[in-house]
Amino acid sequence: MRMRWSGLLIFLCAFFGYLAAQNLLYWPDPTWRAPESVAAKPNPLADNLRAAAGGKKLFMRNCAECHGKDGTGVPKKHSADLQLPVVQEETDGALFWKITNGNTGRGMPSFSKLPDLERWQLVLFVRSLRPVVKQDSLSKAPPGS
Amino acid sequence: MQLSCIKNLAIVIGSMLLFGCAATFAQESPYFVTYDHHMEEPGNLDIEASTTTDVPRAGQVYYFAPYTEFEYGVTANWTTELYLESDSTWNDSAIFTGWRLENRYRPLKREHIVNPVLYLEYENITEASKIQKEIEGTAPDLTSPNSILQPMKDHELEGKLILSSDLHNWNVAGNFIVAKNFSQTEGVEFGYSVGFFRPLATIASGSNCRFCRENFSAGLELYGGLGSTLDGFGLHDTAHYAAPIVSWLVSDNATLRFSVGAGLTHETNPVLIRFGYSYEVQGISGRIARMFGSKQ
Repeated sequence: MRMRWSGLLIFLCAFFGYLAAQNLLYWPDPTWRAPESVAAKPNPLADNLRAAAGGKKLFMRNCAECHGKDGTGVPKKHSADLQLPVVQEETDGALFWKITNGNTGRGMPSFSKLPDLERWQLVLFVRSLRPVVKQDSLSKAPPGS
Repeated sequence: MQLSCIKNLAIVIGSMLLFGCAATFAQESPYFVTYDHHMEEPGNLDIEASTTTDVPRAGQVYYFAPYTEFEYGVTANWTTELYLESDSTWNDSAIFTGWRLENRYRPLKREHIVNPVLYLEYENITEASKIQKEIEGTAPDLTSPNSILQPMKDHELEGKLILSSDLHNWNVAGNFIVAKNFSQTEGVEFGYSVGFFRPLATIASGSNCRFCRENFSAGLELYGGLGSTLDGFGLHDTAHYAAPIVSWLVSDNATLRFSVGAGLTHETNPVLIRFGYSYEVQGISGRIARMFGSKQ
């Protein structure tokens, strides 16, 4: 009998946990802004091409789950499209701050557990995410467009 | 009773393998006892198999205490965990010693110099429990046989204040423990754990190496009891350990952890060996929802 109640308790915790985990709406958070002093920080790895390769590996491990392998976001996770101008126009320092702090109210965890340089590597890789123009759409485009 | 529990556990693990678990990054901190402020990522399930075993003093029993942990990220600032634990004592018996349900909540949205986390746990275990996930009060009974300890039930509520900080690639964390056992007259017990660790490399290489330094972290944990309201708050007759800790990211979704603790007082085992293997499963809630017909 006690086991049955324990099982019910575990099921209820799991069920309500599942409901609470659903981020039903995603919209950009206007309050999620890096302080100006931090946003002005330059990327210490900006000229290090080898570091960018490590950034891709870190992105696939840590970020692709929610943002997709190409950074366009995963609809069911309501995650941000990192190729959008609103993201790409951010400074390196601002991206570093957002990766470091996360935005837990909107489901973005903090990644301060990664060493500083690895977070800068992630910034390098996010910078490299650009919309991919498909060959099909190029061939179908009218001449002169 | 014990057989049915093992059967249930086997069904749960088997089901997870059948669902087709997707892998995700799972570098866990190397801590065994101390908690830091990092939560499980929302929607992910971390399954961990760990053991605690000892090198006994004269008169102490030799035991092997395996436990399984299911850690689920409910939201980015709330993590819940279920523990199932057991004990196998040399020349004695192998028994299921109970379960624990814990919740961790991180109240602050941003990173700060010190990040607090609130922790609440309910334990339904017996006095034969030897996993020593934390030490509170004086010291666990490491001499009596399971036939005496197993009938002594513990219904315990435990709270922790977790303070943790990421400073220049180091993590430093401290936990203060308060526990009340409602089954026995032990008063309110206190304990602590502190620790620090650092990854061995701070920049990731472009290759998918497994043995390179970036996949290893190392540090140290100190933990022990701080007495109780009955025996008095303090270090008298309490157990304390100092334990070097190491973790290795074996694959993108699995981490191995290892610790050899040295007992610092006579109430401890001289050596406490811990080993853990954790495997992280991505988006488990969505998979379960789809099993029940969700089209999401």
